[in-house]
Amino acid sequence: MKQSEFQEFYQANRDACLRSVLASVGDRQLAEDLVAEAFTRAWVSWHTVRRHPAPTAWIVRTALNTRISWWRRRRREVALDGDLEIAATADGEPALDSALLTVLRRLPQRQREVIVFRVFLDLDTKTTAEALGIAPGTVTAHLSRAVTTLRSQLVAIDQPEVGS
Amino acid sequence: MSTHDTETTAVLNALKGSLDEVSMDTPVSQIVSAGRTRRRRRRLAGYATGAAAVTALALTVVPLSQPFSQPFDASSDTALGSGANPAHVSNVAFTMNRHTDGTIHVTWDKQRYFEDRAGLERALRAAGFPVVIKEGVFCAGPDDDTSLVRGIGPGVSAVMHGVSTGDGKVGIVFTPSAMPAGKQLFIGFLSPAQLAVTGGAPGSVERLVSTTAALTCTAQAPPASPRKEGASNPGVKDKTAAKRPSPPHQNR
Repeated sequence: MKQSEFQEFYQANRDACLRSVLASVGDRQLAEDLVAEAFTRAWVSWHTVRRHPAPTAWIVRTALNTRISWWRRRRREVALDGDLEIAATADGEPALDSALLTVLRRLPQRQREVIVFRVFLDLDTKTTAEALGIAPGTVTAHLSRAVTTLRSQLVAIDQPEVGS
Repeated sequence: MSTHDTETTAVLNALKGSLDEVSMDTPVSQIVSAGRTRRRRRRLAGYATGAAAVTALALTVVPLSQPFSQPFDASSDTALGSGANPAHVSNVAFTMNRHTDGTIHVTWDKQRYFEDRAGLERALRAAGFPVVIKEGVFCAGPDDDTSLVRGIGPGVSAVMHGVSTGDGKVGIVFTPSAMPAGKQLFIGFLSPAQLAVTGGAPGSVERLVSTTAALTCTAQAPPASPRKEGASNPGVKDKTAAKRPSPPHQNR
């Protein structure tokens, strides 16, 4: 195994992967654990992962799949659709924009996945489509709908109605 | 760029920027260490699985590889028998149990009737029953009686007979003590091409042959002899005509 290659990959992409997973799960520590687990699996199977068309997409998908298996195993995960206190961070951790993340996590799963891959991982439409197993046109459509929803929600947050 | 595009870019930038401060705390050394531990465990698990497989194979091969001349110990009826003689052998094609009365009960899996005759031959020999099993050829010594009645030669019924197992399998009881001195059982299964004489049903020839004289084998199926009904070559025992259930050769 090329140790340096994996280390470079990790250093270059760990934050983006963490943010992507955080955008999906909403829990900072859980996201870190999931991403660490995904990178560990990537290290074990690096000879395969390194040839993946989008290794970062592999990491994020593995992390999210791991979350599902952990959830099934433990059966004590909080509901994703609820308003989690995302901003309640430990000392020294940056405060997260809870409103933004809440809106993001309220998107339909496919739209959220497209946002994660296109925005946080900076993958192009074609690679995102391949990673998600959908057509490029579908990626574009999901992104457009997601942006429309986010824009309307964020405007509503920034400009709350009088009396609300 | 349109207002819509500008707003879209602004939204996505805001979204991305909202997590700019989030960074992964886990050092790469921790990832690599965890990976090494996991890989080591997998290797150990692989070694354990491989060792178990080798042990199982050895337990299977040892009783099957006993020499033909070893005496049969009928007093033992434990899982693998005492010493060299197995009391029970089981594989995908057949099961063989040695009973305290000295008989050997073999049950062929109906679906795998033709799959491991060499293994059966070794197992029977290891249990003290002298047997030669062939497919497609029919053998006899120069002084052996080659007459057949429905595929069975003189004296065969004393050393082997079929039993109904009632579960769709073929049961045969072998009796080593009834084997005449200097004789062994020859079983010749019909090859797929030769099965035409039985209409495709499994067929075989059993006769007692010499253990000392050289056997002469021929691929010519034994000549027809009178039989009650059915198959076109009564000289060959058609398993479908026997009382015991017949294994479907087409399923081999």
